[in-house]
Amino acid sequence: MLSSNGLSIQVLDQRGGVLTALDGASHDADATLATARGGGTRRRSALLSRDHGLAWLFLLPSLAIFAIFILYPLVQSFVLSTHGSDIFGNSSRFVGLKHFREMFSDSGFYKILETTAMFTVMTVIPGVLGALALVLLMESRIRGIRIFRSAFALPFAFSAASASVIFAVIYNPAVGIANGMLAHFGSKPVGWLTDPKWVLLSVVVVQVWMTLGYNVLVLSAGVAAIPGDIIEAARLDGATGWRLHRSVMVPLLSPQLFFLTVVSTINSLQAFASIRILAPEGGPGGKAMTLVYAIYNKGFENGNSDLGTASAYAIVLLFIVLVLTAIQFGVLERKVFYR
Amino acid sequence: MRRTLRARSLRVAAGLLAAGVAMSACSSSSSKGGSSSGGVPGADALTNAKGVVNLTFWHSMQGTNQTAVTAIVNAFNAKYQGKIHVTDSFQGSYDDAIAKYKTAVSSHSTPSIMQIYDVGTRFMVDSKQTVPIADLAAKDGYSLSDLQPNISNYFTVGGKLQSMPFNSSAPLLYINAEAFKKAGLDPTNPPKTLADLADDAKKLTVKDSSGKTTQYGFGAADYGWFVEQLAAESGALYCDNGNGRTAAATKLNITSGAALTYTNWWSDLVKGGYALNTGRPTPDAQAAFKAGKVAMNLESTGVLGGYVDAGAKSASPFTVATAPFPKISASDSGGPVVGGASLWIDRVGHSDAEVRASWEFAKFAASAQQQAGWHEATGYFPVSISALQDPTDVAYRKAHPQFQTAIDELQATQPTPATAGCLLGVMPQARADLEQAMLNVATTSTSADSALSDASSKISKLISDYNSAVSG
Repeated sequence: MLSSNGLSIQVLDQRGGVLTALDGASHDADATLATARGGGTRRRSALLSRDHGLAWLFLLPSLAIFAIFILYPLVQSFVLSTHGSDIFGNSSRFVGLKHFREMFSDSGFYKILETTAMFTVMTVIPGVLGALALVLLMESRIRGIRIFRSAFALPFAFSAASASVIFAVIYNPAVGIANGMLAHFGSKPVGWLTDPKWVLLSVVVVQVWMTLGYNVLVLSAGVAAIPGDIIEAARLDGATGWRLHRSVMVPLLSPQLFFLTVVSTINSLQAFASIRILAPEGGPGGKAMTLVYAIYNKGFENGNSDLGTASAYAIVLLFIVLVLTAIQFGVLERKVFYR
Repeated sequence: MRRTLRARSLRVAAGLLAAGVAMSACSSSSSKGGSSSGGVPGADALTNAKGVVNLTFWHSMQGTNQTAVTAIVNAFNAKYQGKIHVTDSFQGSYDDAIAKYKTAVSSHSTPSIMQIYDVGTRFMVDSKQTVPIADLAAKDGYSLSDLQPNISNYFTVGGKLQSMPFNSSAPLLYINAEAFKKAGLDPTNPPKTLADLADDAKKLTVKDSSGKTTQYGFGAADYGWFVEQLAAESGALYCDNGNGRTAAATKLNITSGAALTYTNWWSDLVKGGYALNTGRPTPDAQAAFKAGKVAMNLESTGVLGGYVDAGAKSASPFTVATAPFPKISASDSGGPVVGGASLWIDRVGHSDAEVRASWEFAKFAASAQQQAGWHEATGYFPVSISALQDPTDVAYRKAHPQFQTAIDELQATQPTPATAGCLLGVMPQARADLEQAMLNVATTSTSADSALSDASSKISKLISDYNSAVSG
């Protein structure tokens, strides 16, 4: 189970490794899914048996990694958030809660929270519902359905960075395909990444496109795992089309949908590469400045090294994710049907 | 039972995901960069050194430019065989490189020679890691008079040349000569002021029958560097304390003067449909000029070669003409700020012999012969005056007559505190904030006055935070 801790964001972990670390996230989620789906047979009493000590011994390597890469940085960010930074980014004198006071009295900070919320909602809902629609559509028996299945899962194979670079070319104001197509239909060019009205939506499109592949993959697996006899029984009872999907398929897919909602929310809160490439500095007017990006901006972008403020932001992010996850487990999970 | 276990494992999985978000700020070592230098070593430190002195050289040159750096390093290693060996290593963009340098200072592993961009100059002085070039030259009685005075002016802080100029570029106005002729304008009589430029941009904007713009008169990146140029030309200081050279600056002058004029000027052109707004990334504005979508563009000398090639290979080929960077008023007597990057010699944690060997390399890299070859290979401005007489350089300028504009522009400039440019420890972030403000004005109904005054107060806070971080 501890393998899933690879999903952690490592935005500020290594100065150079930002993109790679974030890319790793969805792959680890895959492992989590496998664990979550197959974990039904282990018995709890094993933990209490006399092999107890041996079990801990086997756990030691993962626990050590957990401590070094998760626990230590976590403690460090609390420490850093109460210290100033010198020009090299080393923590200097103790400043108490100064960074938090400044953060909460800064109107820019609330704008960042608002952007983060909008970005998350605008990516999670279309990402999960879009994938569900695609998967249910792909249940139809049409020729070449396998090709479509692979095509829809393909975005999963792209790294966030390379997908963003490709979209940057598409959005290019002078020579991009997006404006070329608009011109073809007689529309005025749009400043996809240069107009404050559009920039957030442009980044959201890329983010949704990227998450769609993984979501399709998970839901397809979910559909494949639904026993044929249930569907057959439903059909015999006269459920077809919309009715079959709404009353049988969706409830049976609810564990996957719940899992995707949690994972997508966390992924969206952590989205970095697409913003870094498409909207550095949060784009025009800072309209795409999310919390994770603000951490990077304060800590590293443009030669900055204000790690105190960056850490204060990181702690806020931690609490937001904790609260959201708690809410999702408290409310959403009740609706989940576990077979 | 099965239900609970499944629910439990999902719950644990998601809980761990949440815990993962906790990952945050990088671990940091708390020690500072070590004690100050052991003074300026003399020539004997290298003469008495035993064996080969190994040097590391971090730079940010990639592609063709990286090949050219390696050529200089190889020539140096051949000349000093058995005595000095330089290993060059590419460290990513200027921003990435300075971030790595910060880490290196903390872990006491700085390179012997470091290439840093112009806007990192104040940070390097504040970092107290390096030995000024002027001190090494004074020790040897070596003359630095062959360096272009307008270039060395930038890297002179507290009256001392701090680093060795290496790759420099000057700003130019680029013109699509065919578009000019079609609009009935003369490309050999280019606009000289912002007002002239706006008039020509209106004449150069072409729409098709459906009212769609097929060619914009003007298009340049949303780039704070241009504002710095206009300020220098008008003889104004861009930040206080003598452009940050007599003491650390505390304020950037962007609520009036060049910044206000340029913001309003650019925003009017964009809103009027005469200028294409490609946002902050410079490659996007370059692509627009290369594709013939804009008739006039502001850029550095560094893109000249690429522009000339693109114009020749275009579906409707065009000739690229160059003109001096425009001024706010025709009577402005100042010239452009010549930026680029320079080489810094690290002192803290490096032996006397290493420092002397680095000094040899810096002199070699800035020599007339190397700079002439460098100019030809990369299009950067030669930092050495006599490089312009080198046969290689004469031949290059014959092939690229457009480059002469930059040389004339530079040689006509009197070095003053205004043309030295503003030094600010937070210049990269300050530039980005100004660019955000300009973009905001050009794309929304925000007035230039309010956007620039917001940016100014944000930048003042950054500066005071930085200045207090320097003093510890």
